[in-house]
Amino acid sequence: MAARTKTNKELFFNGILNENPIFRLALSMCPAVGISTTVMNGLLLGMAVLFVQVFSSCTIALIKDYIHPRIRIPTYTLTIATWVTVIDLVLAAYVPVAYKAMGIFVKLIVAFAIITMRLEMFASKNSVTASFCDGLGMGLGFMFAMMTLGFVRELLGMGTVLGYDVLGFCPLLFFVLPSAGFFVVGLMMAMFNYIEIVYNRRKKVKR
Amino acid sequence: MKEILRITIALTLSCLIAATVMGLAFVMTAKAKKHNEDLYMQETMLGLLGYSKARPAPSDLRFYGVYRYIIADGDRRFLGYMVPVKRGGEQNYALVVMDLKGRFVETMDLSISPEAAGDAPEREKALRVALGPPKAVTYGDTTIIAKRGERRLAYLLPGSFPGFKTFISIMLALDPSFKVLGLEIMEHEEDPGLGAEIEEEYFKHQFKGKTFERIKTIDVVREPLPEQYKKYLERSTWQEGAFTEEEIEEIGRTYEDKDIYAITGATISSKSVSDGVRNMTKRFSYRMGSLDRVIASQGVEVLF
Amino acid sequence: MKERMRHLTLTGLLLVAILVSVGCDTGHRFVKKTEFKDGETIVITFAGPVDEAWAKEKANYAVYEEPDPDILLPIKEIRLSPDRTKVTLSFDDGLNTRQAHVLKTKEMLSEGRSQGTAVLTVKKLYFGLLLSIFIGAMLVNNFVFTKYLGLCVFFGTSQRKSTAVGMGITFTIVIVFAAMMAWALYQFVLKPFQLTFLNIVVFIGLVSLSVQAVDTILRKVNPALFKAFGVYLVLVIANCIAIAVPLILADNEYTGPESFMLALGAGLGFLVALFLMSSARERLELANVPPSFRGLPIAFIVAGLFALAFLGFSGMSIH
Repeated sequence: MAARTKTNKELFFNGILNENPIFRLALSMCPAVGISTTVMNGLLLGMAVLFVQVFSSCTIALIKDYIHPRIRIPTYTLTIATWVTVIDLVLAAYVPVAYKAMGIFVKLIVAFAIITMRLEMFASKNSVTASFCDGLGMGLGFMFAMMTLGFVRELLGMGTVLGYDVLGFCPLLFFVLPSAGFFVVGLMMAMFNYIEIVYNRRKKVKR
Repeated sequence: MKEILRITIALTLSCLIAATVMGLAFVMTAKAKKHNEDLYMQETMLGLLGYSKARPAPSDLRFYGVYRYIIADGDRRFLGYMVPVKRGGEQNYALVVMDLKGRFVETMDLSISPEAAGDAPEREKALRVALGPPKAVTYGDTTIIAKRGERRLAYLLPGSFPGFKTFISIMLALDPSFKVLGLEIMEHEEDPGLGAEIEEEYFKHQFKGKTFERIKTIDVVREPLPEQYKKYLERSTWQEGAFTEEEIEEIGRTYEDKDIYAITGATISSKSVSDGVRNMTKRFSYRMGSLDRVIASQGVEVLF
Repeated sequence: MKERMRHLTLTGLLLVAILVSVGCDTGHRFVKKTEFKDGETIVITFAGPVDEAWAKEKANYAVYEEPDPDILLPIKEIRLSPDRTKVTLSFDDGLNTRQAHVLKTKEMLSEGRSQGTAVLTVKKLYFGLLLSIFIGAMLVNNFVFTKYLGLCVFFGTSQRKSTAVGMGITFTIVIVFAAMMAWALYQFVLKPFQLTFLNIVVFIGLVSLSVQAVDTILRKVNPALFKAFGVYLVLVIANCIAIAVPLILADNEYTGPESFMLALGAGLGFLVALFLMSSARERLELANVPPSFRGLPIAFIVAGLFALAFLGFSGMSIH
């Protein structure tokens, strides 16, 4: 168990950088393409995912000793579904306008592979504190990725950031169109790959 | 066997806990949800009438809901309007029944408080008590009438119609002569960047100030929106002094009788909205006319 | 003799049944058919020729949308076919063909004889509605390319055509199964008892349950098929379309057949998307892709191109 040797701080940054759910692990792509049209959408869905991830991780870490190994996965699903229902109800009640903008995606957090994966790989083997940090890191990593995508699309598509006019004109309407999500995610991934390739080449040259 | 029993107990227990958590969340948020929805509705209505935080609504502004139902009695259909009346010093409701041609049939008293009248199941309960079992009621629509002092200020009509993708819900504000005071898009699922532009000021404000005669034949034109007109429509976002009062008036007059400029790349969405507004206005003016006539002829003391 | 009598009676009954069923179409014996045409007109087909003077009189018709019986739609023009059996009504403000319309006629005159009055319902054929839901879920609102759901599984299993087809078929079977159960549970349990806030938990449970059920059945009934498709079953749970379909049919209050069509369309739409994508990706392997785009990035770009192409279907509807 290599993870146990990591400090809480490392666990926290692991989710944001090394194992970023969207850009590195390529999981939970649906919302990344579907509703990353503005920074605000990214922020809100990111917060919902953060909430579900942290609470589910803590719940599972708390009750891990009582879960029968045979019904491990159903228990995870039930836990996630419960917290998703809670956040769904809360969002619908307190931020109805933003909730409508996110549509069905809040409910679909229940099918996110990333959350189940973290429960199975981490929370079921570690303490509550470690799971909390891990969950927080993963959730923030997701939120960060969603906001980056939202930033790029909002800036290039509408010339605004968080609804404030920044550029004063609208460079490429294409970026806010629904299908552009695929292109933006693809290009961002390619960019990360390119940076990695260049970085590795530099390292080699240095040696 | 013992294993199975343990699994069953564990599963049942976790289901129960989960159900409790969700049930609690539901109970705790249900009230806040209703409150926030009402608040949002209220804000939209005030916004359509031109009131905002900077320009608060006067204290004598009142909203009254009128609910239209279709009453089926065997093969025959009637219209039933639930109208607010004053009875015994308190606000209550009466049902005005008329036939399809707008001729008066009967009125009956309903006992329902104004708070409960906002709730659809409560209204239906009160109607069933008053009408008796063989008659079936179907909900038609709601009209909210804004009144300031003794003067009718506006009609607010919530409504929905098919858009490009799914339904578009709007709230339309008309003045007593059925001139459009404003239009607010409440809900839609049009494409972002294209059809979703219907909620932008430069589109929805085009309806503002169109007279009833104009709205009757309103259509969309597929021409680019003139720059000057666009600026005029988005004037809530300018700083002071970008246009003088005279200029605003002049631009307003120039485009008063124009059709609606369609959104580039979203002609169908634009046409859905203009058709929807046209149909709603025409139907409403016809219905309101017959309701007013019946109320006046029968001397029903309505509050609006 | 007795035999013959029975024969006659049966034939008679059959004829009556046919007549009744034909009559049921419009509710009146003299009117054969009423339908929307081009989304703007209503066409009435009569069993015999009608008098031109009667047919051309606007006051003889009253048309309204079913929920608005007090608003009569103003008729703009009436056209009569040369053989005088078809009347086409056109209206001032177009028609909302999603809504059922009621058409009332005054006493109909044919060759000087009265055929009585008629109250007719004009609506789109139910079959047409089902078909439009199906095509809608499969192409117009394809879950992968226009709703951006199920992408993880989509990118994971679209590398080979054989994998893609296997995944698509397995998914279609499971989703139809799960959606029908979800529909029944929602309509008969969750809604009547006001437990709709439990939607998410119940639906994800049902999806897992159907995956398990299909797994067990397939294993027992057709082991060869299980060997081919068993591996994809687990992946179905991770596919958000499987949970999105029940949520959508609950939101829209679909009926049983409509839910079935939605689920089938969603499943087949996923299959179509997977097949198209895998065909493109098999070719892509031979192409010279820049190193930083290899793998997923180029797959996303290709998917984006497909999504743009599918945008062409949007707004399409079946009359």
